[in-house]
Amino acid sequence: MTDVVAQPTENSPDEVSAAARGRHLVVSEVITLYALSIFCALALAGILVTVTGGSAADVFNALLDGSVRNPGRWGLTLGAAAPLLLVALGTIVSARAGLVNIGQEGQLLIGAAFATYVGTRLGGPGPVVVMGLCIAGIVGGAIWAGFAGALRYWRGVPEVLTTLLLATVAGSAVGYGLKNEWLLLAPAGDRANRNQVSEQLADDNRLPRITWFGNEFPTTVFLAIALAAATAFVLARTVPGFRLRMLGQNPRTAQRAGVGATRYGMASMLISGGFAGLAGAAMLAGGDFGNYQLVPGFSTNIGWTGLLVALVARERAVSAIVVAFVFAGLRTGSGFLAATGVERKITDVVQALLVLALLIPPAVLYIRERRRAVNASKERV
Amino acid sequence: MNITKRFGAVVACDAVDLTLDRGRIHGVLGENGAGKSTLMKVLIGLVIPDGGQVKIDGKVATINDPIDAATQGIGMVHQHFSLVDALTVWENVALGDVGKLRPAAIRDRVGDLSSHYGLTIDPDAVVGELPAGMRQRVEIIKCLRRDPQVLIFDEPTSVLTPAESEQLFEALRRVVDEEGRAVALVSHKLDEIRHATDAVTIMRQGKVVERIATADSDAASLARAMVGRPVSLRSESAALGVLPEPAPERDAEATVPGASSVALEIRDATARGGDGRVLLDDLSLDVRPGEILGVAGVEGNGQRELGDLMSSLLHLHGGQVTVAGTKVKTGKAGAMAAAGVAVIPEDRHDSGCVLDMTVAENLFLAEPGRVASGGVMDRKRMKQHAEALIDQYSISCQGPDAPLWSLSGGNQQRVVLARELANQPEVLVAAQPTRGLDVGAIEYMSEQLRAAAASGVAVLLISTELEEILDLADRIVVLSRGKVAGEMSRADVDLESLGLLMGGALIDEAEGGAAQ
Repeated sequence: MTDVVAQPTENSPDEVSAAARGRHLVVSEVITLYALSIFCALALAGILVTVTGGSAADVFNALLDGSVRNPGRWGLTLGAAAPLLLVALGTIVSARAGLVNIGQEGQLLIGAAFATYVGTRLGGPGPVVVMGLCIAGIVGGAIWAGFAGALRYWRGVPEVLTTLLLATVAGSAVGYGLKNEWLLLAPAGDRANRNQVSEQLADDNRLPRITWFGNEFPTTVFLAIALAAATAFVLARTVPGFRLRMLGQNPRTAQRAGVGATRYGMASMLISGGFAGLAGAAMLAGGDFGNYQLVPGFSTNIGWTGLLVALVARERAVSAIVVAFVFAGLRTGSGFLAATGVERKITDVVQALLVLALLIPPAVLYIRERRRAVNASKERV
Repeated sequence: MNITKRFGAVVACDAVDLTLDRGRIHGVLGENGAGKSTLMKVLIGLVIPDGGQVKIDGKVATINDPIDAATQGIGMVHQHFSLVDALTVWENVALGDVGKLRPAAIRDRVGDLSSHYGLTIDPDAVVGELPAGMRQRVEIIKCLRRDPQVLIFDEPTSVLTPAESEQLFEALRRVVDEEGRAVALVSHKLDEIRHATDAVTIMRQGKVVERIATADSDAASLARAMVGRPVSLRSESAALGVLPEPAPERDAEATVPGASSVALEIRDATARGGDGRVLLDDLSLDVRPGEILGVAGVEGNGQRELGDLMSSLLHLHGGQVTVAGTKVKTGKAGAMAAAGVAVIPEDRHDSGCVLDMTVAENLFLAEPGRVASGGVMDRKRMKQHAEALIDQYSISCQGPDAPLWSLSGGNQQRVVLARELANQPEVLVAAQPTRGLDVGAIEYMSEQLRAAAASGVAVLLISTELEEILDLADRIVVLSRGKVAGEMSRADVDLESLGLLMGGALIDEAEGGAAQ
């Protein structure tokens, strides 16, 4: 109580020069943080593998071989990175508006289902169908996120809960679709055993793939990178992006300034779901995830991982490009781990340690920023 | 006791003496910030005084924290309750006990106390489901259970209905008459002080200005003591021309272009909160171009809601707002701003700025279109405009790209002011515009408000600082319980009736008091 002393409110010179120095420090500080964090994770992982009788060097070599070193592998990694990046971009858009959308896994799955339906039924020239299925994916994901948005803005239900729960519902809904021929299930044909899978996309209705230096990857990679640049630009430099950030940082000021929470928040939720849905469509038509057909469990954690990508990228669209590639590398690299003879459970822990190592620096930076803001507001009292 | 408490350079209590006698209810009356609450916090051990001492029954007592106070027989019912919503009444009462919990005994004790004092309550009710009046009873029972000799009530009726207040006062009467305890009742409401107390101490700016037996006082004298200014100071200031008597040339200027023109008109504004509480009650007022209308009143009587209304943050259930002849939809995002209403909000961090954005961004929150072409913000243009505003309003910052949180409070306020005035508003709403600012910043803000009015803007000044209202306003309305309790022009302000109105007296009563 007695500490509440009326302070002079001017910035001290110390504070001003500290802020100037701060800018130079930030970059080196971030690099140090990551280096330290990853070093610790590698050391821990190495000890773990060695203690359990494996070879640490083998494990890390396998991860590198699987993700980038072996012929053709970086193409695969790129292919996995594209949907991760798309999901992360959606997460970033909603996060900037102050919303916590964590149901990308479900939105992605619904997007993929919509894309499958359109892609297997729409007739016409290939490019038109591909375009159509991408739009269908966007619409599907947007609808799924839209439910959560509508509940939030018209019924006051926290979107954290609804997006998460709707992800579970999405799994069941797609499961139902894959049991019914009028929805997604492939016609029986003359096979006796029916799997619950959809029809394959026709050859013409797939996204083109590109081969560079022996690495093959889908064109969605370029699409995702272009969208990342566009998202970064829109958020930072345009009026709608400005207003969305305003809403996220101070909804009451935003309301006063003409940014209605319902309108802008709902829009950001739809865009967020749309990105996840597009990721689903890209996975379906891109070719790195299964055989151009929808199967149960199609989303294979891309939605959850994409969420992590956004977190690690600290909600910055451009950083997300790099982070998505790293996470995709962990994914493709792990394919080679089985060959090292190290037990599966141990290699899982190694991967988890690496993910943690990537997550800790942003968390540290975030906490530091909050503390700085709190201190600043204390000084103003 | 003789208590002094300083907060930095601010003396909250300056050598205050207060004597509470057994068997009497003692009123402590004063405006917001008069030092009432600080004094009570000293008694309860929440604030350690810089000077002076507290004596209980003639012996000097050291009170370092509320537990000390409780063991020495001092209990307090705070204005803001400290109850756990999820727990039942008796569980809340038992909170803070040490040793083995005996639910039956506590429940019985709660029952005894509630029947004894007529404070009926169900010991097993869940506190979160109780209305405010009942929660207060829980607080009172919590307090009485420790059998205190001195009971302090801080603004106890602010959450009560008149009937509940009446019951509370009956219970208090029993506490003092039958049991010989001492009660201190802190309030700024004249009628309840007169109604419920035996003696009253009036505080102003940290000092005791008057001690009087309630029977010997009347509303008018209490009001005068509460808000009155040292007479010599006032006349001196007037002589020096510091107090702006409504400047005749400005009035003429304002009324000539159209005597009937009203920049802001609020008619019968009615709004209720989510819990059904009335926030604004048939509030009507109008402001002409070039005029400063001061809205005075004790905090919590609708000031915040009036500010929110003008910021499009409050939707009216009845009534309407008209700006420059056009009806404006209430509660619609940006509608007020678009109609030409500029607002310096009561809490700029709440609805005036975005701390994590840059100074330049904060200068264009409402109209980013001014520095954008085709929806893309032109950084160069934004920076130029921002630099011009930073110069014009002497905002001290590292530049347009400095984050707003790095600025001092006074400079953040200037950013808000610069943005709001840059849009050439019809109406400027300034809610508590100088709260928390230092003397220089206050002076600057006052000049800006006068300049705005001089340029033809209709200024609505909402303030609980009477000094500020008297200093700036051409006309004054008093807000009480969400409605306009009375109106007077600056020229014939009468502090007594102003005080009466602020204390919640009715208009004719105020006039009667003024006539005495």
